[in-house]
Amino acid sequence: MSKNVPELVMRPEFEAGDIQDAHTGDVERQLSIFERVWNINGVRKIVILFGLVATWQIYTVALDVEPLMFPSFTLAAERMLNDLFYGDLIWKIWFSVKVLLYGYGMGMGIAAVLVLWATASRLGSDFIATATAMFNPLPAIAMLPLAMLWFGLGTASLIFVLVHSVLWAVALNTHSGFKNVSQTLRMIGENYGLRGVPFVWKVLVPAAFPSILSGMKVGWAFAWRTLIGAELVFGASSGSGGLGWYIFESSQNIETEGVFAGLFMVILIGIVVENIVFRNVELKTVNRWGMQR
Amino acid sequence: MNGGSSAVADNTAAAAVEPILDVDGVTLQYKTKEHLITATYRVDFKVYPADRFVLLGPSGCGKSTLLKGVAGYMTPVEGAMTLKGKVIKEPGPDRVMVFQEFDQLLPWKTVKQNITFALTNGGKCAKQSEAEDIAMHYINKVKLDRFEDTYPHMLSGGMKQRVAIARGMAMEPDVLLMDEPFAALDALTRLQMQEELLQLWEDTHFTVLFVTHSIEEALIVGSRILVLSPHPGQVKAELNAHQLSHESVGDPAFGELKAKIHNMLFADRILEDDLEGKGQQ
Repeated sequence: MSKNVPELVMRPEFEAGDIQDAHTGDVERQLSIFERVWNINGVRKIVILFGLVATWQIYTVALDVEPLMFPSFTLAAERMLNDLFYGDLIWKIWFSVKVLLYGYGMGMGIAAVLVLWATASRLGSDFIATATAMFNPLPAIAMLPLAMLWFGLGTASLIFVLVHSVLWAVALNTHSGFKNVSQTLRMIGENYGLRGVPFVWKVLVPAAFPSILSGMKVGWAFAWRTLIGAELVFGASSGSGGLGWYIFESSQNIETEGVFAGLFMVILIGIVVENIVFRNVELKTVNRWGMQR
Repeated sequence: MNGGSSAVADNTAAAAVEPILDVDGVTLQYKTKEHLITATYRVDFKVYPADRFVLLGPSGCGKSTLLKGVAGYMTPVEGAMTLKGKVIKEPGPDRVMVFQEFDQLLPWKTVKQNITFALTNGGKCAKQSEAEDIAMHYINKVKLDRFEDTYPHMLSGGMKQRVAIARGMAMEPDVLLMDEPFAALDALTRLQMQEELLQLWEDTHFTVLFVTHSIEEALIVGSRILVLSPHPGQVKAELNAHQLSHESVGDPAFGELKAKIHNMLFADRILEDDLEGKGQQ
């Protein structure tokens, strides 16, 4: 043994008698109003938004920019509200959203069938892996020319590309979510007599919900961008156009503030779905269940 | 509490009572990526009603595999397992598992919903209201009232295990299968849970098949202990421990039995070290 090993220091034992309540000055103190307000995420984001709008407005008004090139914020906003309440913008939005929901729903349905197959057999699992590897790098919009050959100019073509953009993202995420469900949960499900589709629905789906949801979010993002893009390409020949067609039409008529109004709507709907619809689903499910922070 | 000595039938009476579970010459094998592993070799044992039957052995003795076999997740390559005279073929609600892992609770269901989920899907209750009554009864039993609407992620490890035990008991299975249910708990909570399990057992004398690698836990929890040797698991001894409980931990009898089992297991120590890492459980 080396000499440097410290020896035990022996000291007397003691027992604390009655323990008194702890008294410290600052157990809990409320933050100042400013701190509390500034801690709200939304408040900080709105401040940034105001900053951007103000910069835009000041730039266009102060430098007297030609409205045909770059209209001021107020002009674009006025046009948007005007078309929304007195024009047909609202119907164009409805047209786009309707097509989107069809495509999204159909994509989800096909994804569900594929994933069920993949859960039941190894061949199905291999199929999903191969198909997603093949089709994921292919932008859905690249399928548009083919869709136009097959289905002509119309809603059917739009739905075809939408399905393509939703299907692989949702199938891939759901499938990998299923694979990651813990062995214990699977055994619990089987223990209580669940087999086949009820097992998938009552155990695998909720257990894999975080990845299913993220697949749905990615699918939505793809679908929304694809749809607007597709409408820009051939909205002109379609009988009744959507939001993309509105942008295209405004641009053809050199109504720049209309283009901005259309872009506003695209952003606005995107934000509503991503930050309000999906966010609320998350709060009510995966956050509440402690599966995701 | 006195380890339930009132429940002990003498040998002549035991012959008249039919065993609930009969494991007869069971060999279990499973495959890893590279090996075919024989987990247990020709294991025999019988579990009688109200038994707190413990499978005890070091890691690699196939005790968890054996429990999975009884649960129906594995089919024996040799021998047979029968529950109340029927051969075990697949998992079912007549044998409920309680696992060691905390994620055995469905995270998307509250404490109460976890139990009603088991009751309604396991075919125990047709009506939701009936299931809820039973669930509340068992939640009270494991002292989790006030937590019935809490999601599992808000509970401590010990509380989660209590819910799992409540869920298992609510199903009133022929035999409750417990796979090292307290192994992941801290020592103090483990002691408390062992005691509570024994108290619950006092109420209804349900049948438990309990897996552990702790000799002390086996002695406290078990009424009868099956000692298994490792690689592959074979029966070394079947011992009575019904007279032992927490109170007798300091007694000479407790120490003697503990030493006896320790020697049985220790004899394999060298062999076990050799084979360590070739696949567990």
